[in-house]
Amino acid sequence: MQPSDQPVVQANKLVKSYPRGSEIVHAVVDIDVEIQQGEYVAIVGASGSGKTTLLQLLGGMDRPTSGTISIAGKEISKLSDRELTRLRREQLGFVFQHFGLLSTLTVAENVALPAILNHKPNHSRVDELLERTGIIHRRNHRPSELSGGEMQRVAIARALINEPKLLLADEPTGNLDSATSERILELIGELNKDGLTIVVVTHNEKLAQCAHRIIQLSDGRIVNTA
Amino acid sequence: MLTQLSTFFRYSVNSLLRRKLRSLITIAGVASAVAVLYSLLAFQRGYQLGLSRELEKLGAHLLVVPKGCPYDAASIALHGANWPCYLPSKYLTMVTQTQHVAEAAPVLMTAFYDDATQSSRVYCGVLPNILALKKQWTITGSFPKTGEALTGMDIASKNHWTVGQTVKMADIQTPVKISGILNNTQGPDDQFVFIPLGDAQTDFKHADQFTHILVKLDHPDHLEEVVRSLRGCEAGLEMNIVPLAHVFKTIQGLISSTRLLLACVTLAALFAAAIGLSNTVFMSVTERTREIGVLRAMGTERSNIFALVWMETLIMSLIGAAVGLLGATLFEGLVETWLRARLPFVPNGPLMSYEWTIALLAIAAAAIIGGLAGLAPSMRAAGLSPVEAIRRAEGGV
Ligand SMILES: Nc1ncnc2c1ncn2[C@@H]1O[C@H](COP(=O)(O)OP(=O)(O)OP(=O)(O)O)[C@@H](O)[C@H]1O
Ligand SMILES: [Mg+2]
Repeated sequence: MQPSDQPVVQANKLVKSYPRGSEIVHAVVDIDVEIQQGEYVAIVGASGSGKTTLLQLLGGMDRPTSGTISIAGKEISKLSDRELTRLRREQLGFVFQHFGLLSTLTVAENVALPAILNHKPNHSRVDELLERTGIIHRRNHRPSELSGGEMQRVAIARALINEPKLLLADEPTGNLDSATSERILELIGELNKDGLTIVVVTHNEKLAQCAHRIIQLSDGRIVNTA
Repeated sequence: MLTQLSTFFRYSVNSLLRRKLRSLITIAGVASAVAVLYSLLAFQRGYQLGLSRELEKLGAHLLVVPKGCPYDAASIALHGANWPCYLPSKYLTMVTQTQHVAEAAPVLMTAFYDDATQSSRVYCGVLPNILALKKQWTITGSFPKTGEALTGMDIASKNHWTVGQTVKMADIQTPVKISGILNNTQGPDDQFVFIPLGDAQTDFKHADQFTHILVKLDHPDHLEEVVRSLRGCEAGLEMNIVPLAHVFKTIQGLISSTRLLLACVTLAALFAAAIGLSNTVFMSVTERTREIGVLRAMGTERSNIFALVWMETLIMSLIGAAVGLLGATLFEGLVETWLRARLPFVPNGPLMSYEWTIALLAIAAAAIIGGLAGLAPSMRAAGLSPVEAIRRAEGGV
């Protein structure tokens, strides 16, 4: 157990570059960032500014080209692929623009999956979360039978099943109409009020305004923190 | 653990159901390969069994025939016909005295063509020691003494002969008493009339002669040794020594081209099935790149991803194996007819021998093919990075 004043994520001089043909694209350059327990952070910026790349680094989905990053107190360059996988499974939750539900499983099975992968299946928690996200009446449906907003609720429930320290979302309302987006925003806001740490990448200004802090990127660098 | 396994299994099955037609075609490929393999193995086994059954009915390891007789004397002995040449009696002693010869049974085989029935009647002059070779014989009545005959079951029923009856046979001057009838042997013996060797030599005017000697050894391992000493003995130049194992090989050689063709077809079918499997699973992995990325992002181990995809391949190949075995069993008759028409020598009895060990072998082959074909796509899937979950967000569902 780490003391609660330790940041959930701490990154120093993060750089991520991709080779593109003969050149090298610097998607993220020299980023220092700390995310505290209970914080609600929005990452904004123009298309191609490096938001998704940064989120992947903060979520331990990818390793930086240089710089260091600790997630939940673990320096990830010291972790093996297996350990990093386990860190994501146990400490992090992900929500994607495209929902990323498995179409061949039911709503309840989708939500239960990360817990099953963690060898801790918990049926009552699945129902609790479906209740919480307001989608319990759809528990035995397939994702293809749901609307976009409903799918995103399922995805959020799934992200929360293993009680993560941090929820990361890449444009969670990107595929939703404004009314539906708003309800998803409310849900995310409530989760944060209950103490969940949240980092969200968004183009949605309303979503950004709900956040405690906005990190604005331009060409891979932080240009403004508000 | 169990929940995880059953979830994985359901996920794999559902992934296959997602593209039903493609999965079906792939399974059909495996099924045909397994059906062909199963039939080939059953044929190999059945043919071998049939041939050895046939040769076993002869009851001998070696056949001794006069020099100058054609090499296919063995098939004359098998089917019964008139012999063109004879061995003098004194050779029998030499054969009997050769070391490792357990029994040497002389036979004087004579055939008469009967115009009325348009078939041959085959008489075998034999000594009682023939019984030491024909272990599977059972006789209703007794072995014939002078003036008596033992007849095959078919010929007896055709002529309405019964045990104890005295009949006049067209080819023998004096009437003969039926001392016994052979119970069904399912071989050529059912058509033969067995009489004492001495009677045959007198009636058919071949005093002190016979057509061939059936030789049984004390142990089959001594075959080469016995053949060598028989060929080397005084009468060796006058006799042809035919080991029946060679007949076995010669006949098997006759069908080797058919067998080679079948083996090539089988290999090609197995290869095609493996390519089909691999290709299908590769496609399904490519289609699911983002989905697998999501699984990785939420903490699925690489080894689990590997297992998921591998399981899909194995499920398809095992279903294919089951369908293939079923198909091969259903169309057994067709395959047998097709093969019979193409073979130069077909033994009596069923040509294909379907055994559960062969079925297991075919299933194992399917599992190995599936396992190998699944390796590359499973490795590709396990190698996918969690960033695929987001990277492919542009376009697609
Ligand atoms: N795998 C990759 N290979 C090469 N270049 C990449 C890769 N991923 C991202 N990039 C490049 O890095 C830069 C930042 O990309 P990123 O996806 O992080 O931007 P973004 O801010 O999320 O954009 P958007 O708002 O359009 O999603 C872009 O120039 C992009 O082309
Ligand atoms: Mg992006």
